Amino acid sequence: MALVKEKHIQFIKSLNDDVTEQMIEYWLSEHLRLNGIYWGLTAVLLLQEPSTLDQQEVIKFVLKCWDLKQGGFAPFPRHDAHMLSTLSGIQILANYGAWDVLNEKKQDLVKFIKGLQLPNGSFQGDRFGEVDTRFSYNAVSSLAILGELTKDVTEPALEFVLRCQNFDGGFGMVPGAESHAAQVFTCIGFLAITDNLHHIDVDKIGSWLSDRQVESGGLNGRPEKLPDVCYSWWVLSSLAMIGKAHWIDFDKLEQYILSCQDTENGGISDRPDNECDVFHTCFGLTGLSLMNNEKYSMLSIDPIYCMPKEVTKKFDKWKQSTT
Amino acid sequence: MVRALKITIITCLSQHGIKRQHVSDAAKSAKIQRDKKKIAHYRNLTDACLDLRDSHTYTQDAYDKTSKLLEENPEFNAIWNYRRDILESWQSNNKDIVTHLLEELNLSMGLLKRFPKCYWIWSHRVWVLFKLESLNKPQWSTELMIVAKMLEYDLRNYHGWSYRRFIVDNIEKAETSATTTANEDEQILALVKINSKEFEYTTSKINNISNFSAWHNRSQLIPKIYKLFQLLKDKSLFPQLQPIFLSPYSLLQHELDLVKTGMYVDADDSSVWLYLSWLLTDKFFVESFESTQNYKDVLLQQLNIVEELNELEKDDHPKGWDNRWCLKAMILIRTLLDDSPENDDLTKNWLKRLIDIDPLRKNKYMDQLNGKLVIVSI
Repeated sequence: MALVKEKHIQFIKSLNDDVTEQMIEYWLSEHLRLNGIYWGLTAVLLLQEPSTLDQQEVIKFVLKCWDLKQGGFAPFPRHDAHMLSTLSGIQILANYGAWDVLNEKKQDLVKFIKGLQLPNGSFQGDRFGEVDTRFSYNAVSSLAILGELTKDVTEPALEFVLRCQNFDGGFGMVPGAESHAAQVFTCIGFLAITDNLHHIDVDKIGSWLSDRQVESGGLNGRPEKLPDVCYSWWVLSSLAMIGKAHWIDFDKLEQYILSCQDTENGGISDRPDNECDVFHTCFGLTGLSLMNNEKYSMLSIDPIYCMPKEVTKKFDKWKQSTT
Repeated sequence: MVRALKITIITCLSQHGIKRQHVSDAAKSAKIQRDKKKIAHYRNLTDACLDLRDSHTYTQDAYDKTSKLLEENPEFNAIWNYRRDILESWQSNNKDIVTHLLEELNLSMGLLKRFPKCYWIWSHRVWVLFKLESLNKPQWSTELMIVAKMLEYDLRNYHGWSYRRFIVDNIEKAETSATTTANEDEQILALVKINSKEFEYTTSKINNISNFSAWHNRSQLIPKIYKLFQLLKDKSLFPQLQPIFLSPYSLLQHELDLVKTGMYVDADDSSVWLYLSWLLTDKFFVESFESTQNYKDVLLQQLNIVEELNELEKDDHPKGWDNRWCLKAMILIRTLLDDSPENDDLTKNWLKRLIDIDPLRKNKYMDQLNGKLVIVSI
C-alpha cells in the first residue's frame, strides 16, 4: 500500500473546516486542542505542506491559550495551564520560530515549569499534585527548547526518573509502576535531552522494546497487548535514541502503518479499519519519517523532540559538561 | 472574527479501537441536526461554569453545575480544578466537607466505570482521598476493594494497578502511624499482613498467565515481603508463607515452579519468560546463593526444563520449528553459565535458528552473533 499523502493533507484540513464545528465531538475535545494542533502541525510539516494550516491563525490561537494566572499554556482559551499543553504550545511556536511573540511570557513559562518540580525531583502536571514521568519529559523538553535547562532541575529529576526503571529495563509512570512503552519514550527522551543516556543498559531496554513488535508488524505498548500505531512512535523513537532502531523490522512496520490509513478520507487509525484521528495520523507519519523519510518525501523527524530535525538543529543542545 | 482552530481528535474521547465508518452526506447532515441541541446545551453549561469560576463563585449551585458538566465530559480538567477550588474554599470557611468528599468518590466511581482510562478522574480521586485522610476520615481500605473490582473489569488496566500500589502504600502508612506508640514488632506484623494479602492477590491473578501486570507486581512484592518476614518475630502466624519466604532460595524454587506451569500452559506468552529472566538474574536471588556452583545447578536445571519444552514445541510445530521464547531463554541461561558465550557454538547455533524463526528481530540476533551485544536479559 502506498502513502496517500494528499488524502492525509485533506484529512488535517477537514479537521479545521466549518463542518467540524457542528459536531459535538469538537466541543467535547477542547481539553486536547493545543495538543491536537501540535499533532496536526507535525503531520503537515513532515509532509512538507505547512500551508495546510494558517501560521498566523495558529500562533494567535496559541496565545489565546495563555493562562495569565498560572503563566503557562492551557489546551484551550479559558482552560487551565498544564504541563502537557504547555509543551504543545512551546513546540508549536518553536516549529514556526515564533519566539518574538512570547516576550515576557518566556520567563513566566520557565517559572511555571520549574515551580512544578517536587522535592523528590519528580514533576506534577499542575498545582494539584498528579505525578508522572510524562511530566518529567514535558518539563525538560520545554526548558531545553526555551534554552533554560539548568542542573538544579536535571539532577533531582534524573534521580526520580531512574527510580522508575524496572527489572525488564523499561520505565513506568512512577516508581514501582509497570513498564509501558509510552513511559519508556518519556524517560529515554528525558535522558537524551539531559545527556544522561549512559545511566541505562541500552541492550536490556532495547531487547524489551524490540519485543514490542508483533506478527502483524505493528508495535504494542506492553507484553501481550494489541498493537497500536501510536507505538510506532513511542517504541521506534526510543530505539532510535539508543541506537537500536534496526532491532525491529522496518518493512513490516511500514506496511502496518500504511494498512491503518483511511485511503478514502485520509488519516491513520490505531489499527486497520478503525476510526482515524489526528493523534494516530501524527504518530503514524512520524514513524514513517523516522524509518525512511526520503522514500515518502517527508522531512526527517528528531526522535528526541518529535519535531522536524531542521527545527531542532537550531536548539542549543544541553550537555552535562558545559554546565 | 478570528476563526477558531478546529483540529479535533474525535476517537481519543471514546478510547482507541472504534470501527471506521464512512458515513454518507445524508447521515452527516442528520448528525449535524442531532448535535445542534447537544452543542448548544454543552456550550451553555461550559460557559456558565467558567463564568462562575471567573467570578470566584463557590456556591452549592456552582458545585452542582460542575457535577453536571463532568458527567458529560470527565476529560474537562479545568472543571475538576474549579471543583477542587470550591471544596478548598468551603473548607477554609469552616464548612464540613466530608459529605461532599464522599460524594466526590461516588461521582468519580461512576465516571471511572465509563471512562476507566481517564487520567483526570483517577488523579481527582487521589486528591479526594488525601483530603479525607487529612480530615481523619481515611478511606484506604474501602478503596482497596473498589480497585479490585476495577481490575476485574480490565485485568491489565495500567491506572488500576498503579492505583492499587498507591492505596497499599497508604494503608501501610496509616497502619504504621496508628501504632507508633506500639512497638516495632507490631508494625512489622501489620506490614506483613498487608503485603501477604497483596502477594496472594497476585497469585490469584497470574492464573491468567498473560497478566504481566500481576507478574510485575509480584516482582515488587517479593523482596519487600522477604525483608519484612526476616524481621518478623512469630513467623508461624503465616503458615502458608513461612516455607516460601524462608530464604531467597526457597522463594526462587517456589516461583520457578509457577513459571514452569506457566510456560507449559502457553510457551508463546512473553509474560512468564520475562519473569523467569528476573528470577535468574536479579541480585536478590543471585547474590543469596551459597556458592557459584549452587547458582549454576539451578541454571542447569532450568536449561533442561526449557530444552525439554522446546522439544515438545518442535514436535507440535507444523514445520518442526523451535519455540522463540524457549530459544531466547536457553541463550540467556547459557550466557549466565558461561563467561565467554561468544565462543559457544551451541549459543551461536540457537541464534542462527532465531534469525530464521523470528525474522522481525533478526538484526538484534545478528548483533548478538557478532558479539556486539551483551546478553543480559531475555
